[in-house]
Amino acid sequence: MATEVLWWIFAVLIVAASAGVVFSRSVIHSAIFFIGSLAGVGAMYAFLNVEFLALVQFLIYAGAVTVLILLALMLTRSGTTGLPERTDGPQKPFAIVVGATLMGILIAVAVHTSWPGNLSDKPRGIAIDAISNRLFLDYGAPFIIASALLLVALVGAIILARQEEGE
Amino acid sequence: MVPLSNYLVLSAIIFSLGAYGVLARRNAVLILFGVELMLNAVSLNFVAFAAYLDPDKITGAIFAVFVIIVAAAEVALALAIIIRLFRNRATANVDEVATLKW
Amino acid sequence: MGAEQAWLLAAIPAGMFLVLALFGRYLPRKGDYLGVLAIGTSFVLFFFVLHDFLHAGGHAAILTSIDWSDVGNFHLRQGIYVDPITIVMLGVVTSVGLMVNIFSVGYMEGEARYYWFFAVLQLFVGSMLMLVLADNLLLVYMCWELMGLCSFLLIGFYWEKRSATEAAKKSFITTRIGDVGLLIGIILLWKATGTFNIQDIIHQAQAGQIGHTYLFVSVMFVFLGCMGKSAQIPFHVWLPDAMEGPTPVSALIHAATMVVAGVYLCARLLPLFEIADGAMLVVTIVGLVTAVLTGFMAIAQTDIKKVLAYSTIGQLGFMFVALGCGRPDVAMFHLMAHAFFKSLLFLGSGSVIHATHHNQEMDKLGGLWKKMPITGTTFLAGSLALAGVIPFAGFWSKDEILHATETWSGGWVFLLLSFAAILTAFYTTRLFIRTFMGQHMDDEVYEHTHESGFTMTFPLIFLGILSCIAGFVVWHGVGTALGFPGGITEFVYLHEPERYHFEWALLGASVLIFGIGIFSAAWLYWGNSTEKSTKLAEWNPGLYQLLVHNFYFDDLYQAVIDRGLLGFSYVVAWFDRYVVNDTGIDGSAQFTGYSGFIMKYLQSGRVPNYAMGMALGIVGLAIAGLVVRG
Repeated sequence: MATEVLWWIFAVLIVAASAGVVFSRSVIHSAIFFIGSLAGVGAMYAFLNVEFLALVQFLIYAGAVTVLILLALMLTRSGTTGLPERTDGPQKPFAIVVGATLMGILIAVAVHTSWPGNLSDKPRGIAIDAISNRLFLDYGAPFIIASALLLVALVGAIILARQEEGE
Repeated sequence: MVPLSNYLVLSAIIFSLGAYGVLARRNAVLILFGVELMLNAVSLNFVAFAAYLDPDKITGAIFAVFVIIVAAAEVALALAIIIRLFRNRATANVDEVATLKW
Repeated sequence: MGAEQAWLLAAIPAGMFLVLALFGRYLPRKGDYLGVLAIGTSFVLFFFVLHDFLHAGGHAAILTSIDWSDVGNFHLRQGIYVDPITIVMLGVVTSVGLMVNIFSVGYMEGEARYYWFFAVLQLFVGSMLMLVLADNLLLVYMCWELMGLCSFLLIGFYWEKRSATEAAKKSFITTRIGDVGLLIGIILLWKATGTFNIQDIIHQAQAGQIGHTYLFVSVMFVFLGCMGKSAQIPFHVWLPDAMEGPTPVSALIHAATMVVAGVYLCARLLPLFEIADGAMLVVTIVGLVTAVLTGFMAIAQTDIKKVLAYSTIGQLGFMFVALGCGRPDVAMFHLMAHAFFKSLLFLGSGSVIHATHHNQEMDKLGGLWKKMPITGTTFLAGSLALAGVIPFAGFWSKDEILHATETWSGGWVFLLLSFAAILTAFYTTRLFIRTFMGQHMDDEVYEHTHESGFTMTFPLIFLGILSCIAGFVVWHGVGTALGFPGGITEFVYLHEPERYHFEWALLGASVLIFGIGIFSAAWLYWGNSTEKSTKLAEWNPGLYQLLVHNFYFDDLYQAVIDRGLLGFSYVVAWFDRYVVNDTGIDGSAQFTGYSGFIMKYLQSGRVPNYAMGMALGIVGLAIAGLVVRG
């Protein structure tokens, strides 16, 4: 009972934070709301008893990725005029339509489909050794490729972003 | 505990918000925020399915792991490009970098 | 060498064509003796075939064939079929062919392309012989077309002259129209019977396996081919123009052999015509109309070759009437006699032309008998035969035809045919008197005329003798004496052999016919002075104009072509220009370019636009998915 109430609190928080990300006028505010949103999703993972993923989410997403984005934000500020820059593009109305339609469709599908199994069961949780077994044994090849991908991406990012001589 | 559909609805809402953000924002970094939100929503969806419907082969959770990996790589690259762009054009506004047109 | 090797008769001249065409110009004397040799060999071999045939019974048909093509369900055998009709045709073609060849040695002397003339002549004789030997319709059609080709080549022999090329084209195109009909008929018959073999088709038809209306239609198409090749009305327009060719060509092809191919085919397929109701009547009427109309046209002609051309068409009409009355024996008899005396007349006129240095108009001729005795005498024999005077060949055959017309009740066929016969006698006499008798019309021409050489007079004499005596084969006694089983009506027959009976009434009628014709012409033209020859023209100028212009058939056809055909081609050209080209080709290209011009605005270069496009697409798909899944 208590977890359920807690769940609802976190759900509302996540929605509010996400709304803040996309509707905020200030870039820095969006970044802060973003952290909140990510943290909320991490909590959701915890509610699902997938502690490993919750940990990963906090560490990598809310930690590393956010810092990276904030760094880039700092580096791409166009002048210090002090005026709040306009953050919303000309496609706003269409975007509202698209967003609303998408939401409607997805919610309708989610609610009206009868998912197999007993839905009111407590989720059984995923132990970390289950994840590691699956990840390293059955999906070992994709995992190694993914790590190679990561390496390449980062090296590429470095090359892209470095300063040439004379710049 | 809450039923599965709750998680699905939640992730639907986050996804839609993220889509809005991608389409309606001007700053390249803000668009990136939208993309990240969408990816998060999708991961949540997968993990929810894995926990509720597929406890033996937790394919959804594995997928979420991979999503995180790829998202991290993609963010790094995207930001590198944005920095590069900023250096060349002195702007991070996507509406102003429209030279590849008719 | 027996009847089964009869195909050699065709192969030898055909092979000689190749030799002459390839090597003729390098041989001494340009190879004319080779041509004579080839046909002479065929002529000699004919007697072997004849002997073998008579030995085997004289009525049985001799067959031999080879497997030609075997594809799936389609089996084709080609071979030869020798029966009395074939024997008659073989004899006629080889003998007349030989005479014409010998004549050409003298007539074509000094002409350019001398060797080519003999080469094509050989090819023609070869294909004609193969035509009469063929046992299936495909081979018939092939040889039919080959003969058309040779005719075209030979009519246009003097192709430096515009009129000759026009005439060659005209002959080919007109016969082609008939040939299309022939092909359609052949295909229709094949569809109904599954075979091209003539005898098989006839047996199937007699067993009632072909529907009568279907048979009638297909037989009529085949008859179209016969009409085209044998120059019956309304396809007759090419034959008078074909006189542009050298005279030996006219003698061989357009008198004795090629034009009778239509008669031959009709005789060969006559059982089919009999079964199809109404076909015989059509044949008779066509022949009758032709005989009468061309008789009129011949009266007004002044060119000796043209008179003979119209005469040929008319006599072919006589043969078709005989066929229409169900008497192929009589038709073949007339064919044979006609071949002899008509080729004689043509060769005789060739002799005249050669001697007078190509003066063919009767306005310039006259009184030539004194200068060219041999030609004149033989021409007289031929004329008497054509007019049907007793006891020359034409009398007996024409008599038989008139006798055959009694199958049609009411006597109208008999009356009209008699009238045509009177016309025949009339114009023949006119021709002879104006060319050979009385005063000469042109002094200069008269001075230079002389008798022709031996190569030209020998064939004339040979054919002249045949014109006199060939008619007697109708008698039973004559036939058996020669080794045939009776007279010609017992040799060639459709259902039963018929013995010839002499009828005094018919004899009287025939004498009356030629009597009227000859005496009226003689009364008009005797003495051959200018005023006499124009008497007929002055009596009724309107009618005369009609006849001189051949009842305006040529003008009618030309008008049809000018208005109809060319008008239609304008429509087609308009369609090609504006619909196919401008709309289809140019139009679609321009449309592509224009749509590209419009669509380039999609490339705005702005990434959010592209993202929106993607998003809209995905939403659209999702909605569509929902709608479909329900």
